[in-house]
Amino acid sequence: MNPLTVPVPRLPVGDTFDRAIEWLRTNLESFFDVLGAVIGACVEALTGLLAQTSATQFTLLACAVIGVGLLRRGHLRPVAIAVGSWAVLYIAELAGGAATSVIGSMPAALFNPAMSLFQAEYVYPPLIPALLLLVALVVLSFVLGRGTRQELLAALTCVALFAVALAHFTLGVQLSLVTLPLFALLAYLVSGWRVALFTVLGFLLIISMDKWDNAMASLALILVATGVAVVVSLPLGILAAKSDRFSTVVRPVLDFMQTLPAFVYLLPAVAFFSIGTVPGVIATVVFAMPPGVRLTELGIRQVDKELVEAGEAFGAPDWAILRRIQLPLALSTIMAGVNQIIMLSLSMVVIAGMVGAGGLGNDVYRGIAQGNVPVGFEGGIAVVVLAIYLDRLTAAITRFSPAGRAAAAAR
Amino acid sequence: MGPAHAHPPGPECDEADEGAEEETVPAVRAENLYKVFGRRAATAVDLLSDGRHRDEIADLGVTAAVIDASFEVEPGEIFVVMGLSGSGKSTLIRMLNGLLPPTAGTVEIDGTDITGLKKAELRKVRSEKVSMVFQHFALFPHRPVVENAAYALEVRGVPREERRAKAMEALELVGLKDWEDKLPGQLSGGMQQRVGLARALAADTEIVLMDEAFSALDPLIRRDMQTQLLELQASLGKTIVFITHDLNEAMRLGDRICVLRDGRVAQIGTAQEILDHPANDYVATFTEDVDRTRVLTASSVMVPAAPYAAPTDTPRAVLRVMREQHRDFCFVLDGQERLLGVVEERDVQAADEEGAADIAEHVKPAEATTPPSTLVADLFADAARSPRPLAVLGDDDRMLGVIPRAALLDGLAMEGGRS
Repeated sequence: MNPLTVPVPRLPVGDTFDRAIEWLRTNLESFFDVLGAVIGACVEALTGLLAQTSATQFTLLACAVIGVGLLRRGHLRPVAIAVGSWAVLYIAELAGGAATSVIGSMPAALFNPAMSLFQAEYVYPPLIPALLLLVALVVLSFVLGRGTRQELLAALTCVALFAVALAHFTLGVQLSLVTLPLFALLAYLVSGWRVALFTVLGFLLIISMDKWDNAMASLALILVATGVAVVVSLPLGILAAKSDRFSTVVRPVLDFMQTLPAFVYLLPAVAFFSIGTVPGVIATVVFAMPPGVRLTELGIRQVDKELVEAGEAFGAPDWAILRRIQLPLALSTIMAGVNQIIMLSLSMVVIAGMVGAGGLGNDVYRGIAQGNVPVGFEGGIAVVVLAIYLDRLTAAITRFSPAGRAAAAAR
Repeated sequence: MGPAHAHPPGPECDEADEGAEEETVPAVRAENLYKVFGRRAATAVDLLSDGRHRDEIADLGVTAAVIDASFEVEPGEIFVVMGLSGSGKSTLIRMLNGLLPPTAGTVEIDGTDITGLKKAELRKVRSEKVSMVFQHFALFPHRPVVENAAYALEVRGVPREERRAKAMEALELVGLKDWEDKLPGQLSGGMQQRVGLARALAADTEIVLMDEAFSALDPLIRRDMQTQLLELQASLGKTIVFITHDLNEAMRLGDRICVLRDGRVAQIGTAQEILDHPANDYVATFTEDVDRTRVLTASSVMVPAAPYAAPTDTPRAVLRVMREQHRDFCFVLDGQERLLGVVEERDVQAADEEGAADIAEHVKPAEATTPPSTLVADLFADAARSPRPLAVLGDDDRMLGVIPRAALLDGLAMEGGRS
């Protein structure tokens, strides 16, 4: 042994970490169980919505479009009443099968045309309240929205809903080809025809590679992870913007989260939630959250000091300054953070695939594990298409933010 | 500590002359107000109150922005705080509505000390008693003009329709009637500041703080805005504390002016007092650049001496007066010193030769007269046209004095002789 070798004591860093995780797991087990269950349910529901859309979901989607149109024209109260009644009916159905018994008591002939349209063997009870809501909203559109383009919106939405139902449920066109136009339409409305064209071509490529279901599963995972990351990072960013001390504490933590190799926090995630989608979402949230916090802080701090002072000078309380001045003006920066969260989530999809999160990550991981280049490459290409789609969409939303409109007005 | 040589203590501040005040409560009252930034602020205040200059205590690691400021602003007055950048004027105005807490001293709004108030109470004072206009307008770029103007009312919880109506009234006052739905970014600088003014007016507070409100505007627009502010003030009668670094603006707007230097109050007084009796060389050098013709009035340049006579005087006596004073005319006054007109030397001469008993029938109307409040700038044309000095007439045509052309020039040259 070299005499100059200095013995450095071995610090039990890894073991301590392991023990900390073990302690957390035994002491906060119920918390992690609930968290895992909620996240798992969310991802599952969203995957179902995207990959196996039911007639009820299509109907509710149409309701959402018409409802948003009504809200934007300032008809808050009637829409709230309609949606509230629907929610009551829906809960009554879930709790006591109210709709089922009502439907059972009515003559079957009433439902036959609808059943044949949807190629259904029985009436799915939640569909009835959803259809009632749709009717209510359409009526509202024609009564309240007279002379505006709300009538047109309602009519077109109903036609689209009918076309989708006819194509998918009656004629048997596969769901992917039916939902693709909806994705393209969203892209067209938010960011223009180029992105819409890209959406059509890209998503057709995904379909032709037979990756649609996996892509939708990944999309669901990303959306849930993004949602969780935004919900966590927004308040943290606001706190960091308000308090210099909190900011200095939080910054190294964020650095740590971002630089720690992503594989490493799969370990505790698996320890807490076992394998599957949930640890994938958790690891994704941890990895993707930092830019959300940073950009929220930056956005709020960037708001002109004089504007905040103006709020104070007229006696506005802090929360009103935050909500009415700082957040609206920081929104475009915050949206850039959300965009970053989504992009980082996408890059985590593959790693999450390693712990059995499913989706495109699974394909890529299988490609690596089995040396199967075609499967891995096709999975990767599908991720890229999703990434570009989501990036262009979120980048364009910034234009609609208050600060964006103000900037456009100043030009 | 401190440098080896002793600086003379800073200029003593002129306490607001309390004797002249009536028994009304001042709208704003600052007493021995200090604002020192830095950890050892309390030590710094002690040293500063002993009369040290703020540069002497720089090694404490503190910045003294406002030092021992005391003044009172009367209701309905425009009180201008004038100082160069770094003189502490922005800090001072921010202490008046509690945006910055003073290090020492008190601020009273309508007789209430606001330095000890809790946050919520302070917000109430701000939303109900003091509004503010900002140098860079500080309009909310994402809200239409009318919602900007209605902001104070929104904070106060006024219902939507009512606050819109009041905001529209305020916008109409500042001449922005048809712009309510535009965004601030679509307006020019001058119009934006009018929105800022409308926002403060819609708040309908007694006191309006204006922080360099016109400094960011082009000179021409700045003049328009000053005129508009004076017109509005004439009808609304707000109490305005106006901050500026421009002495001309201060002289034009201010009923009284407070000159700040290095955080201390150098002088408080009317424009005329500051021009005529600057408290020290610093203020005097400042006033050199002032366009005196726009500050001085007829009453400040007029001279008392003039040949005058009564209509009952004999021509001979009048001639003697004229010759003594080397003039070829004489003002004619009645027993109450009211100006009746003028007589000219050759007319009086003729009367004397004719043996007339008095000069009454030779009195001609005096054409060139002026009230005492006319600005000197507006006297030049009349003075140039008239062969005789301008007569300054008070109420009931009472003769207060005359302004020969030489006196006009003397008034302008005054500061040269002083320093």
